[in-house]
Amino acid sequence: MAAIAVTSRLPHPGLVAAAAIAAVLAAAIASLAGAGGTGSTWASLMPSAYLRGVAIGAAVQAAISVALSLLLGTALALALARRPAFPFRSLVMAVISAATVAPTIVVVFGVVAMFGRSGPARWLAGGLGLEMPPIYGLHGIVLAHVVMNAPLVARVMLGALTATPAEHGRLGQMLRFSSLDCFRHLDLPVIRREWPGLATFIFLLCFTSFAVVLALGGGPANATLEVAIYQALRLEADFARAASIALFQIALSMGVVMAFGLVGARLPEAGGQAPARPRPDQDARWLKIWDVLVVAIAGLFIGPVVLSVLAGLGQLSSLAEPQVLAAAATSIALAAVASATSLALALLLASAAQPTPSGGSAANRARLVDLAVLAILGLPPFALVTGLFMLLRGHVSLEGAGLVLVPLVNALMALPFVHRMILPAMRQSAERHGRLAASLGITGLNHVRIIAWPALKRPLAAALALSAGLSMGDYGVIALFGGGDLVTLPYLMAERMGAYRIEEAGAIALVLVAVAVGLLLLADRA
Amino acid sequence: MLELDALSVRYPEFAGCYTLTVPKGGLCAVIGPSGGGKTTMLHAIAGFEPVVGGALRFDGGSLTGLTPAERPCSLLFQDHNLFPHLTAAQNVGLGLQPGLRLSASEHAAVADALAAVDLDGEAGRLPGELSGGQRQRVALARALVMRRPLLLLDEPFGALDPGLRKTMIALADRLRRQHGLTVLMTIHTPSDIAHAADLVAFVADGAVQDFGPPGALLKAGRSAAIDTFMGL
Amino acid sequence: MLATPAAAQSKPVLTVYTYAGFAGKYGPGGKIKERFEAICSCTLEWVSTENSGALLGRLKLEGAATKADVALGLDVNILSDAQATGLFAFHRQDVTKLAMPTPWLDRTFLPFDHGHLAFVYDAGKLASPPKSLKDLVEDANGPRIVLQDPRTSQPGLSFLLWMRQVYGDKADEAWTRLKPRIVTFTKGWSEAYGLFLKGEADMVLSYTTSPAYHIAIEKKANFRAASFDEGHYAYVETAAMLSSSKQQGLARRFLAFVLSDDFQAAIPEGNWMYPVKRLDAGLPASFNDLIKPSRTLQFTPDEVQAMRRSLIESWQDAVSR
Repeated sequence: MAAIAVTSRLPHPGLVAAAAIAAVLAAAIASLAGAGGTGSTWASLMPSAYLRGVAIGAAVQAAISVALSLLLGTALALALARRPAFPFRSLVMAVISAATVAPTIVVVFGVVAMFGRSGPARWLAGGLGLEMPPIYGLHGIVLAHVVMNAPLVARVMLGALTATPAEHGRLGQMLRFSSLDCFRHLDLPVIRREWPGLATFIFLLCFTSFAVVLALGGGPANATLEVAIYQALRLEADFARAASIALFQIALSMGVVMAFGLVGARLPEAGGQAPARPRPDQDARWLKIWDVLVVAIAGLFIGPVVLSVLAGLGQLSSLAEPQVLAAAATSIALAAVASATSLALALLLASAAQPTPSGGSAANRARLVDLAVLAILGLPPFALVTGLFMLLRGHVSLEGAGLVLVPLVNALMALPFVHRMILPAMRQSAERHGRLAASLGITGLNHVRIIAWPALKRPLAAALALSAGLSMGDYGVIALFGGGDLVTLPYLMAERMGAYRIEEAGAIALVLVAVAVGLLLLADRA
Repeated sequence: MLELDALSVRYPEFAGCYTLTVPKGGLCAVIGPSGGGKTTMLHAIAGFEPVVGGALRFDGGSLTGLTPAERPCSLLFQDHNLFPHLTAAQNVGLGLQPGLRLSASEHAAVADALAAVDLDGEAGRLPGELSGGQRQRVALARALVMRRPLLLLDEPFGALDPGLRKTMIALADRLRRQHGLTVLMTIHTPSDIAHAADLVAFVADGAVQDFGPPGALLKAGRSAAIDTFMGL
Repeated sequence: MLATPAAAQSKPVLTVYTYAGFAGKYGPGGKIKERFEAICSCTLEWVSTENSGALLGRLKLEGAATKADVALGLDVNILSDAQATGLFAFHRQDVTKLAMPTPWLDRTFLPFDHGHLAFVYDAGKLASPPKSLKDLVEDANGPRIVLQDPRTSQPGLSFLLWMRQVYGDKADEAWTRLKPRIVTFTKGWSEAYGLFLKGEADMVLSYTTSPAYHIAIEKKANFRAASFDEGHYAYVETAAMLSSSKQQGLARRFLAFVLSDDFQAAIPEGNWMYPVKRLDAGLPASFNDLIKPSRTLQFTPDEVQAMRRSLIESWQDAVSR
C-alpha cells in the first residue's frame, strides 16, 4: 500500500474499497474471536488433525468439481461459439445459469429429482442395463457442484471466446486451419488465459460449500470446514472456535489463490468486435456431431435439474396471498440494493486493477483486489453476519442491523461473481481504447459515457442479473435476520418446507428460478 | 490479371457491386470514403464475404466457389494479423504448416522471409513484444512464405506514423517486384502511395466509381466526389 | 405511524421469539395470536428464527438488549445451554398436573408441546417396517433411511441420544452397522422429510405425530410411524420469559396462557405435536390411530450438554469409517 501511496497522492478509491472489504472481514473475525469460547488462545489456532483431514477431503472434492466443471462448461462454450446461428443459445444459457444462482436447496432437490432413486436418469440407466450408484457421497456433491458451476464456466468462456478478434477466424480460414489447428490457435490461448482464474474461483466455491455437502454428502465423512464453522457457531455457540476455523479456511483459500499465482496476471490481448465470427471449423462434420452432443449432454444434464422446479406449477395458485407478495417485494428490494452495491464495488475494484497514466503497478493492484474479493469466499456468510452483528449490538436491534447487513453481506457474497464478469471486460476496454481515450483527453463522465459504457453494457447487465439472482436466492444470511419484518421468498420457502408443505415450497422455488431465468434472458438482450 | 466483373455482395444495410481489372504484377491503391465498401471488396476477393452475383477471375480462372484457403490470395488486416501466443517465427510458419511441424527447409524459408522484412533478429519474440510496424512486417513475411500471387492489404499501415508508413509501403512495393505479386491495397492517405501505385481505384457507395493511373485520377477536377474525398 | 389510532398505539406489545414453522402460515401462531390478543388487550408480535438452535443463538447474540419478552420453542436438548445464559426468569406456573410422559420439574422452561421421535414410512411401499431400533440397526437388508445431521439439527441430535439410550457404550458399533443403510444426513428436518417424500429413502426420522398431518390435510393414511419395542426418544418444546423483558406482567400472563386450552388446542393440528395437557374437546381424529410409544427414552438437559460434544465426535468417527 505504501508504494502506491507514493506514486499517486491519494490511494485509488478501488484500493480503498478493497481495504474496506478486508477490514470488514477482519472485523467480523475479530469480533467473533473476542466473543468468548475455546478458540481464543494462540495454541488453538493450530488446526486439529480432524480439521486438517476435513480440509484435505474438501480440497480433493473441490479439485474434482473444478476439473469437471471446467471441462463441461468449456466444451459447451466451444460448441456454442462455433455455432453462432444456433437459435436457442440465449435460452439454453439462461436456463442452465439459473442453477448457479438458485437457492442451493432448490438445486439439491433438482439433482435428486433427476438423478435420485426415482429420477429419470436412474430409470434411463436401468433401461440400458446399467446400475447407477446412489447419488449420496462424494460423487453426489461433485454432481451438484458441476451442475452449479459448469454454467458459470460456460458463460465466462463463451464471452471470452466470442471476444477474440474476428481477424483470427479469417486468418484461420486463409491458412487452412484444420479443426485441431483451430482449437490450438484460436481456442487454447483463451482457455489458458481464463482457466486459472476460473479454476481458483470455482475451487473456492466448492471448497467452502455447505448445504450441498450436508444434503448430498451422505455423512460426516464428506465435510468442509464450513460445516465445522457452522457447528461451532450455531450448535456450540463457541464463537472463538468458529473464528479460528474461519481463519484457517481463509488462510487456506488465500494459499490457493497465491498458489495459482496467475490470478490477475493475464496476458493482455485486445479483441475485435465479432458478433457472428466466422470459424474455419464450422463445417467439419465430426465437430458438428460433437457440438450437438455437447450441447445436448450439457443441456440434458443441467437443464432438467433447473426445470424440475416446474413441478411447482400446480401449486402456483397457493402463492396468491399477501404474505407471499410482501415477501416477493422484500426480496426484490433487498436484491436490488445488494446487486447495485455489488456492482458499484466491482466497478471500483476493477478500475483499481487497470493501468493508470500516473503509474503504479497494475499487476500488483490487480492482485490485491483479487485477494480481497476471493477472501470473501473464505468466510461463511453466517459467520460474517454474526461477527458483524456482534460489533453493532447494543447500538442497534437485530432487525435494524438486518436492514443494512442483509443487503451488504449479499452484495459481498455476490461480489466474487460480479468481479469475474466485469474485470475482463473492463481490462479489455482499457487495452483497446485506453491510450486513445487518454490521448484525446476523454476522462470522467465522458469516459464512462463514450468509452466504458458501450463496452461494459453487456457484462454489467449479466453481472446484475447474476448478482440479483444470487441475492434473491439467499437463505444463509436471511435465516439469521428473517422472521420479523424481513421475510423473503427463500425464507418463506424454508418455512413452508418446515410445515410439511413441500409442494408449496416448490411453487416458491419455481418463482425464484423463473425470475433468475428472466433476468438472465433480459441481460442477454442488453 | 485480376478481374472483378460486377462482383456483388448484399446485406440489409449495404450492397456492393464491383468492377475492376488489375494487371498481373500491378499495384492498385484503393481509396475512398470510410464506409464506402473498400474492405468489403477485399474481403469478397479473399472469400470472406458471400458473393451473390458477378464474376471474379485471377489469371483466367474463376475464384468464386473457392474457399479462402483455396484462393491464390493472402490478406493483411489492419490489426490482429498475428496470434499473440505464438512467436514471430511461428506466426510466419503458420503460412506453411498450420500444425507448425516444419521441415528444415521450411524453417529456412521462414528465416528468409523474416530477413526479407528486416526482422532477422526478432524471430523468437512474441507479438506483444514487437512494435506495430514490426507486427505488420511479420504478417507480410507470412504472406511471402504462403507464395500466393495475389496480396491484399487492408489499410495495413494505417495505424503507423507517416514516416514509418512510407517505409512500409516501400517494403511492400519492393517485395511485389521481387516476387511478382499482384497487390491491392486500401489506403487512407493517397499521397503515401502515389509514387508506388500503378493504378488507383476510387471506391464509394459500394462500387468502383473510377480507376486509372494515379497522376490522372488524383488530379483536381476529375470528379467532384474525388475532389471532396481529397479535400480539394 | 401518525395515522395509527391512539388506542392501538397505547396497547402494549408482547414480542415472542419463536421458530419459523410455529409462526408461519401453517403453524399455530396465527390462532394463538388471535386468541391471546382477545384477552390481553395487547399486541402479540411473533419474531421467527430458522429453528430452535437459531432461536437460542439469536438470544445469545442480542443478550440483555433483546426485544424478546418470551422465547417459545427452545427444545429440551438445549435447555442446559439456555439456562447457562442467565437470560431467563422463572415461569412460576404449576407444572405438576401436566400430561407429559415423564414428570416435568424445570422452573424456568415451561413445556408447551411434546412428542416422540419415530421413523415414518409409506405403508404402500414398505410392507413390514422394523419392530425395534435393534431391528433397524441390525438387519443388513433393512430399509434405507434418511437422517438429520446431529451437528445442525435438533431431531438429528435426538436420534444420536436415542441410539445412546438403547446401545449405551456400544452405540458406535451400532452406528457402523446402520451406516450402509443411511442415505444421507441433512441439515435440517425439512430437507430429510422432503427427500423421503421424493422417494429417496424408505424411512425418515421424524415424529410419531407426522402421520396425523397426512391424514388430516392430505387425507392419506399410507404414511405411518414405526413403533419400536425399546421405546421412543422424547422431544419436548418449551417457552420461557426473558428477565430483561419490559413487559414482565404480560409475559407472565402469556406463560399462563400457554397452559390454557385456547393455546393447547392449537397445537395438535397446528404444530403436529401433542399438547401438554388434556384438552376438554379431546385430541383431533387425525391423532386417533397414531402409535403410542411403550416407553419414553430421554436424557436430562444437563446430561445432554455434558456429552454432546464427545457423542458427536464419536458419531463422526463411527459413520466416517
